[in-house]
Amino acid sequence: MGDKADVWQGTLALMVLKTLEAMGSMHGYGIARRIEQTSGNLLSLNYGTLYPALLKLEQEGSIAAEWGVSENNRRAKFYRLTRAGKKQLEKEAQSWGQTTAIVARFLASSEDPV
Amino acid sequence: MKGLRVLMLRLAGLFGGAQRERELTEELDSHLQMHIDDNLRVGMTPEEARREALLRLGGVEQTRQAYRERSTLPLFEILVQDVRYSLRGFARSPIFTITAIVTLMLGIGATTAVFSVVDRILFRALPYAHADRLVSVGLVQSLETQEFMLGGFYYDWRNGQKPFEAMTSENAVTGVCDLTERNPAQLSCPLVEANFLPVLGISPVLGRNFLPEEDRPGGPKVALISYGLWLSHYDRDPGILNKTIDIDGQPVRVIGVLPKDFEMPRLQAADVLFPMAADEATDRKSNSGLGGPKRVFARLKPGVSVEQAHAELEPLFERTQKWIPAEIRSNFKLKVRSLRDRQMQDVHLTAWVLLGTVFAVLLIACANVASLLMARAAVRRRELAVRSALGASRARLACQALTEAVLLSLAGAVAGCVLAEGLLHVFLALAPAGIPYLDKVHLDLRIVGFTVALSFVCGALFGLAPALERPREGMLTGRFPGSISHGTVRQWLVVGQIAASMVLLTGALLLLRSFWNVQNQQLGMREDNTLTASVTLGEHNYAAPESKMVFFQQLATRLRFGPGVSVVSVSDSLPPADGHGGMRYGEILVAGRPRSAEGAGAVVKERWVSPEYFRALDIPIVRGEGFREEELGSSDHFVVLSEQLAGLLFPGQDPVGKRLNFDHVSFSDAPWYTVTGVAANVKNGGLTGEEEPEFYKLRRDRAEDWAGNGRWGQTSVIVLRSSLAPAEMSRWIRSQVAALDPTLPVDIATLQQRVSKLADQPRFQTTLVGFFAAIGLVLAVIGLYGVIAFLVAQRTQEIGVRMALGAARGDILRLVMGRSLRLIVCGTVAGLAAALAVSRVLSSLLFGVGSHDPVTFALVTLLLIVVALLATLVPARRAASVNPMEALRAE
Repeated sequence: MGDKADVWQGTLALMVLKTLEAMGSMHGYGIARRIEQTSGNLLSLNYGTLYPALLKLEQEGSIAAEWGVSENNRRAKFYRLTRAGKKQLEKEAQSWGQTTAIVARFLASSEDPV
Repeated sequence: MKGLRVLMLRLAGLFGGAQRERELTEELDSHLQMHIDDNLRVGMTPEEARREALLRLGGVEQTRQAYRERSTLPLFEILVQDVRYSLRGFARSPIFTITAIVTLMLGIGATTAVFSVVDRILFRALPYAHADRLVSVGLVQSLETQEFMLGGFYYDWRNGQKPFEAMTSENAVTGVCDLTERNPAQLSCPLVEANFLPVLGISPVLGRNFLPEEDRPGGPKVALISYGLWLSHYDRDPGILNKTIDIDGQPVRVIGVLPKDFEMPRLQAADVLFPMAADEATDRKSNSGLGGPKRVFARLKPGVSVEQAHAELEPLFERTQKWIPAEIRSNFKLKVRSLRDRQMQDVHLTAWVLLGTVFAVLLIACANVASLLMARAAVRRRELAVRSALGASRARLACQALTEAVLLSLAGAVAGCVLAEGLLHVFLALAPAGIPYLDKVHLDLRIVGFTVALSFVCGALFGLAPALERPREGMLTGRFPGSISHGTVRQWLVVGQIAASMVLLTGALLLLRSFWNVQNQQLGMREDNTLTASVTLGEHNYAAPESKMVFFQQLATRLRFGPGVSVVSVSDSLPPADGHGGMRYGEILVAGRPRSAEGAGAVVKERWVSPEYFRALDIPIVRGEGFREEELGSSDHFVVLSEQLAGLLFPGQDPVGKRLNFDHVSFSDAPWYTVTGVAANVKNGGLTGEEEPEFYKLRRDRAEDWAGNGRWGQTSVIVLRSSLAPAEMSRWIRSQVAALDPTLPVDIATLQQRVSKLADQPRFQTTLVGFFAAIGLVLAVIGLYGVIAFLVAQRTQEIGVRMALGAARGDILRLVMGRSLRLIVCGTVAGLAAALAVSRVLSSLLFGVGSHDPVTFALVTLLLIVVALLATLVPARRAASVNPMEALRAE
């Protein structure tokens, strides 16, 4: 586990949103698992931190929650993306793309001999 | 938008916490189950599976805490917790809570009420533009202590002055005029210069100001009417502009309406403003060559102070002095003062005294609250130590202490506002007529805010101190070296409180003794069973002296035959009120003696009376005789002197038959008066003023004796003794006046009422200061009691040990009382010193008692010491009855 990166602040919300976009409706445990898988098991997620993040997104109106039954027949709280959430995802994904592009270009240029 | 939504949701999250907790538990449960299921599927043992799932979750409790913080507003929740905790604490110690709240209520209530009154007097903005630059300018002399000017020199000043942007004036006498159209009324009608309103910075709400050509003799008859008159007589009809109304039987064109809050600089009533319409040349010659008397106001140039203006006017004043007759020249002084000072007169001092009084009360109250909170903190140290040991941060403890202070202040403030509202009503009922604007007083929210903030600061300061202290070792066990420092501070607070209430009590007692003297002095006349009726005749309908004489003769005749009436007199004024009719002593010429300027400035009262006057007021004639009926028709003039004046003019001689001349300075052919008798002295300079020498002129049945003009000349007072009840009698008098002229207002009061009204001001001061002194004393006693009781409680163990070692009850009593006595003596000595220094301020409010009156100081000291000792007796006895066994067991 030592090599795994921690999830840094702010990106968790984006990951949750993206996960929900891909999977439709999903419960907390499923989201956590999915994030780990998507990261190629490179990310170490403290599952406990997921729930306050979900609550925050719910309060902001980006996701909605309702109780349902899981694939293993267990009662669980399912989250899904709202329309506002989709918009937010688009916006954040775009800004994230920009940020990474800039950082990438920055790193690339500093390696080049001038 | 999103932020707001989140905030609302989180606020809502404060409620329904249990439901949310349940859901979270369920969600976490299902999370763990699914995780364990997965782990089992990959082949872990059940224990391993569970452990791994819990580890990855990172702790159920932590998750729950993070979730909770996210779902509500943590700070807010803490606040709610603190409030709830504080309320529980207050409920547990109701005596502390009630004492603190009542103390704050008294402090805040009294301060707010008094501040609301005083604020209008001392700090209110006058309704003029840049009112701080407006001054009242003029000369003063012993007969007229309010600034005035005469036409003879006013114009020289106006043209020659440098410190003012502009000067303006109104006629010194505000006449009455009659509205003589439908719905007639007697009005107050000041005459002003055309630039009067512009200099004050006022523009009419409707219409315009006077034009220069309207302010000339023979100019068009125009007037500005007051908002009140516009409302009451013309229904606020804008069509009033340029209409003519009938005043004193003449058509006058209304050119404007004054603003609603307009007031004359001297605060007299003003229903209609007329232009003075005097040109300089005529005005200089009027009033037997002196020029018309005026009240002059001026606007200072920016940056010029009142003192500078005074200095710059000095040369003009010197020139004017040469023009005043040499005999009386030294009596005139130049006076320039701010308009506010002119309006407030001596009310200023009363206001400051009141302000100082409530400030002292507020300080005592604050000291009490501080002391209470400190005692409470000392008791709660252990609790604080426990909470800190359980992980409460210092910030958290401080927050809790602050919450308590805020809650107390709030409760005190609410109670205080209720009290203040009640007190204001009491003030209004008590207040003398002479205090301007009192009818407009209302509770001022700024002041409420100020006092609440002050009480909060004092509460927070002393509530915070213990919470911020570093928790010391041993606190948990309750073995710490006691709250030595707090104890000392509290003792100093009590000393301060005692000193402050000493000052308050001294002031109150001085005023009380003074009021007693005012009330119980000999007036030199009989007040009971005496009704007075004052009638002011309109200047238009009763312009001729003849008509005034006829009116009052007819009225007196009608009244004389009234039911149960034994005597009726008519005079131009009545004692003991001060204020009108007088001359300088040096102007009285005795037949056969040279003119002298000796004692030139001293005022001698002059009164026109009918023969029955002395009988009506029961003033004894001590020498010679009073006036006789047959003298009314005589062509000679008669005068009665007061004992004091007779002693001054004819020391050791019999004045009867001597001849005096009063007006020789102004008229060379002034009549000589024959002295017929000497009357006993009567209080005639106001209730608290000096008794002044006086003479009575007989007002004969001749028009020349009724020639006075202006408001005073138009007014006469009837004094009437009757066996009937005053209420019945006043109705009858009104009917008799109405039978002669139904438009005339009559002011009827018993002589006792008139005298009592003069005592309103001292009564007001005495009651208020006395009230606050009582509050201050009660608070100080509560403070003292609290400190001593607390000391006793803290030293219970020590007392137990002492008693176990053989101390008698008396020893313990002495120990506690001795401690208390030290505080009392310190406080009293400090208070005596402060009171001696402060009471001098009161000296001009006192009558018949010195500001350092030894009896008062002795009484106050005694009272304070006795009350304070009583306050400590209770805890001292409790200490003395401590059971040593129990005290030691408490260890």
